[in-house]
Amino acid sequence: MKTGIQSWLDERFGLSIITKFLKEKTVPQHKHSIWYYTGSAILLFFTIQIITGFMLVFYYKPTPEGANESVARIMTEVPLGWIIRSVHSWSASFMIAFVFIHLLSPWLSKSYRKPRELTWMSGVFLLVFSLLSGFTGYLLPWDDLSLSATKVGTDIPRSIPLVGVWVTKFLRGGEDVTGDTLTRFFGFHVSIIPVFMFILLAVHIYLIQKQGMSLPLSAEAKKEKVREIPFWPNFVYREMIVWLLLLGILFSLAIFFPPSLEKAAELMAPAPEGIKPEWYFLFLFQTLKIFPAKIFFLPGDTLAVLLILLAGILFFSLPLIDNKPAERKGKIITIIALVLIVYAVVMTVWSLL
Amino acid sequence: MKLKHSLFTRREFLNGLLGGWLGALLASFLYPVIKFVFPPTREPDQVILPFADFRDMSPGSVKNFLWGTKPGILKKKDDGSYMAFVGVCTHLDCNVSYLEDQRKFFCACHDGWYDENGLNIGGPPPRPLRRLFLSIEGEDLIIKREGGERAEDQ
Amino acid sequence: MSLRRKKFLGTFLLISFFLSFFILEYNFAQQVTQEEQEEATQAKEGQEKIIPSPQNIKESTGIYVFVAWMWIAIFVLIYILKLKIREVDRLLKLRFLSATKK
Repeated sequence: MKTGIQSWLDERFGLSIITKFLKEKTVPQHKHSIWYYTGSAILLFFTIQIITGFMLVFYYKPTPEGANESVARIMTEVPLGWIIRSVHSWSASFMIAFVFIHLLSPWLSKSYRKPRELTWMSGVFLLVFSLLSGFTGYLLPWDDLSLSATKVGTDIPRSIPLVGVWVTKFLRGGEDVTGDTLTRFFGFHVSIIPVFMFILLAVHIYLIQKQGMSLPLSAEAKKEKVREIPFWPNFVYREMIVWLLLLGILFSLAIFFPPSLEKAAELMAPAPEGIKPEWYFLFLFQTLKIFPAKIFFLPGDTLAVLLILLAGILFFSLPLIDNKPAERKGKIITIIALVLIVYAVVMTVWSLL
Repeated sequence: MKLKHSLFTRREFLNGLLGGWLGALLASFLYPVIKFVFPPTREPDQVILPFADFRDMSPGSVKNFLWGTKPGILKKKDDGSYMAFVGVCTHLDCNVSYLEDQRKFFCACHDGWYDENGLNIGGPPPRPLRRLFLSIEGEDLIIKREGGERAEDQ
Repeated sequence: MSLRRKKFLGTFLLISFFLSFFILEYNFAQQVTQEEQEEATQAKEGQEKIIPSPQNIKESTGIYVFVAWMWIAIFVLIYILKLKIREVDRLLKLRFLSATKK
């Protein structure tokens, strides 16, 4: 019966090209193969975000008057709503954590070299959109903590000379954070960002399928054939084990450590104490904090923001810069990469102290 | 390899086990999703109103009250007793109106007519208006969804 | 023991295994609901923060049973998947060997 449906669809869609490709696809097995599991883990969490997001959007009201109250309703009245919201919140953190882990692999093994430059670049865009998703989603409960975090977060681009003010206005829907900001962030979070993420994901995944899995430098240097296992079913069964464990950990954490909800935000009230952004922004937050108010003639935060922007652009263009990976330039870039990773971890830990 | 006396091969057995347990796990995840997406009904069991608001109604007139998220209609009959309806047309859920001069309930959506006791007399409505059960206790008028008592009270 | 006796014993052990979770969680849940109710009343008084928690013993027991069941299912599935991986890797090896022989 299965083959009947398959052939029916194949006659119309031509799906056999895809199924044939998937049956023949192989995955290399070497001592760094564990990194290959990170990509599908991200997809797992992204799917969970979409499903729980669909459910939350059934009850959420994106207005300043209704937002906090609707989230409170989800958490108290709607049956098991608190679990759905908790899963959505935890899965966001897991997804971004795995995006960071996922980018470590091509970054340190230099898989972004030719022909995989576009895979890297689409990946960087996906990272930015994931972070923006987290940022826009954080405002939606409209409690005083998230309002303050948004005020600070949308104020940072203002330091960029010339265009900064326009970026802030674009994000906020005006000069200040208001109800319009909430509506705009809701649109970004629920519609605009997901559309772009789907397009980028399609590009990213297509490129990976077309170019095959990359090998780390050490394996390539050996120039011998690396042992490969078929994607289906050998690798997929192994992936399933990883998914099951991740799901179990996610749901256990979501059920026993659900997020709380502060009272509704008041636009005119002073900022509450101890505001800080979500953990994935902490290293940037701390970087801005340590910069002095003025360096020479430039204000401190302008310099900090410009440095971060420059780092971002260099990070994005890494495949074009690091095109001779085995030589000295490549080794220096690896050292810089390790320094940056240590810096990010240290900054994150410091901001929590 | 399938032995002659076995129902299925070892591979089929293992695949069935895998599919079965996977299905069980996903079904247990599906349960909270279903409960979330289909929230419990919002109709109240009873509504308590101050009788003073309705005491001075003229016979044959109606007054509206809130029945959860639906409109409720309280009608005073000629003999002084009261009737309570859910003011929703039994055809396709439009809110009905009361025409006092004709003493009939009218649904504007598809020209449905009910007489003064809520019985469907004209147009598409298949059933009479839904009745609610009321009782008067002291200063309160209590309107119930289900009642063992009579539908009307003095 | 005959096969029938083994099946009975197996089913009995399985059911009592599940039941024991139930009994354990009932005790546990009573403690936890008390704490959670205290938190919830505090929250209501302050009206500052909403900390989600199950409302009654039925809900909290249900949650513990669900988490226990979920982990059992996950470990069973991982075991079955490991068997499948062993089978599929074995097939792979055979095919390789048979290909190189020829």
